[in-house]
Amino acid sequence: MSGPNDAGIAPGGPVVVARSLTKRYGATAAVDGLSFSLREGTVTGFLGPNGAGKTTTLRLLLGLAEPTAGEALVFGRRYRELDHPARLVGAVLESNDFHPGRSGRDHLRVLALAADLPADRVADALELAELGGVAGQRVATYSLGMRQRLGLAAALLGRPRLLVLDEPANGLDPGGIRWLRDFLRRFAAEGGTVLISSHVLAEVAQTVDDVVILQRGRAVASGRLADLASEGTTLEEAYFELTAGAA
Amino acid sequence: MRAQLRAELLKHRSTRTNLGLLATLLGLVLLAVLLHGLALPAGELVGAEDQLSIVVGWGAKLGVLFAGLLGAMSMTSEFRHGTIRPTFLVTPQRSRVVFAKALAGTSYGSAFGLLATAVALGAGRIALGARGIESRLDLHDQILFVAGGAVGAALWAAVGAGVGALVRNQVPALVGLCAWLLLVEGLLLGDLFPAIGTVTRFAPGAAAAAMSGLEADELLAPVGGFGVLVLYALVGTGLGAVATARRDVG
Repeated sequence: MSGPNDAGIAPGGPVVVARSLTKRYGATAAVDGLSFSLREGTVTGFLGPNGAGKTTTLRLLLGLAEPTAGEALVFGRRYRELDHPARLVGAVLESNDFHPGRSGRDHLRVLALAADLPADRVADALELAELGGVAGQRVATYSLGMRQRLGLAAALLGRPRLLVLDEPANGLDPGGIRWLRDFLRRFAAEGGTVLISSHVLAEVAQTVDDVVILQRGRAVASGRLADLASEGTTLEEAYFELTAGAA
Repeated sequence: MRAQLRAELLKHRSTRTNLGLLATLLGLVLLAVLLHGLALPAGELVGAEDQLSIVVGWGAKLGVLFAGLLGAMSMTSEFRHGTIRPTFLVTPQRSRVVFAKALAGTSYGSAFGLLATAVALGAGRIALGARGIESRLDLHDQILFVAGGAVGAALWAAVGAGVGALVRNQVPALVGLCAWLLLVEGLLLGDLFPAIGTVTRFAPGAAAAAMSGLEADELLAPVGGFGVLVLYALVGTGLGAVATARRDVG
């Protein structure tokens, strides 16, 4: 079983904390003193126009890039210091991070081996993502929607408690978007935490509890969606007001 | 580390890349050995040293090259296809990934070297036999040639993994390895610049050739070649691991 204690992380603390997180590329600050935290059991929308620094922030959070200043903690630790990250965090950053000549099942088997997970997790994840029928085929033959679901299956292999998804609805058909929304709500209802980035407001408005709105690498608003979109304004109106002047 | 090694071995088994590499390798070995064995003047092929270095030696040289390509591609194809992201998400201790790739590469690299040298010996015997030239390679020569080819290719796979980790971009990494082994070392080692040649004996390709007993009067002894190549494998993998741990992943 993959309870919290497997990974040596005590429950109860904040799932994600970013403090004055900064990433500069030369003179440009992609992320500029960003601070936010995620509540356990919630779905948080990470919103902002293209180029606001959403993807860079997720990479800092997941240890793929090093911050210039500040820190990002996942379950109280830097991601690269987690002992069994796959048992705590699942992430999908790109929709096509697969070797085209490898089957979907082998893609998952590789990751399960590296994460030291039991082999039966592969079949579970394939079933969850409804890919059982094509699991033996090369990924090159998969549609975009099937690739999205394979990425999600990979993220879920270790039964993580935090899911990080970068623009997961790109390329999904309406049925797929609805499937994803239902899945994320269920995941949060069972105590999981979700961080989902998007530049399309409509697709998250029905899914998220909280939002963090990013503009030029800074958080211009964060909190409960209900608070932000109250007083007669919709989320969309609030969003455009907050990010006014962006491309 | 064991988990990473098992994952890397499955990565090798689960695509057709290695089979394609192996088929190309063996085809080129046959072509090179048969052409040299059949086309060169018989007078140049009578001695054991000539038969080894000029005809069958291609098996060892090409085996080493393709093992290097295999090692490099184990790294660069992950960057090319984006699988490096899930790989590092599961194993954020990135140097473990590089060392596991080097180790997994050595097992496949040794198979490449073994098959390439064995095929070269067989093809050389057929080519020379067809012209009535007696094979001068005794059992000791043949065992050293195959064993040295296998171990040399194994170590070159690790060198390749290090190069792939440093360069990351697939095309420059593969072109660089080909250019170095097929052209640069040959130019430096030849009669053109004798002074440079004495230094070039310590180059990684020359060290591998020495392990198979090629050009014995010019190169290091097989044991010396082994020692030098082990150093290259360790240093190359180590540098690759350090660079991989430090650099951001896009």
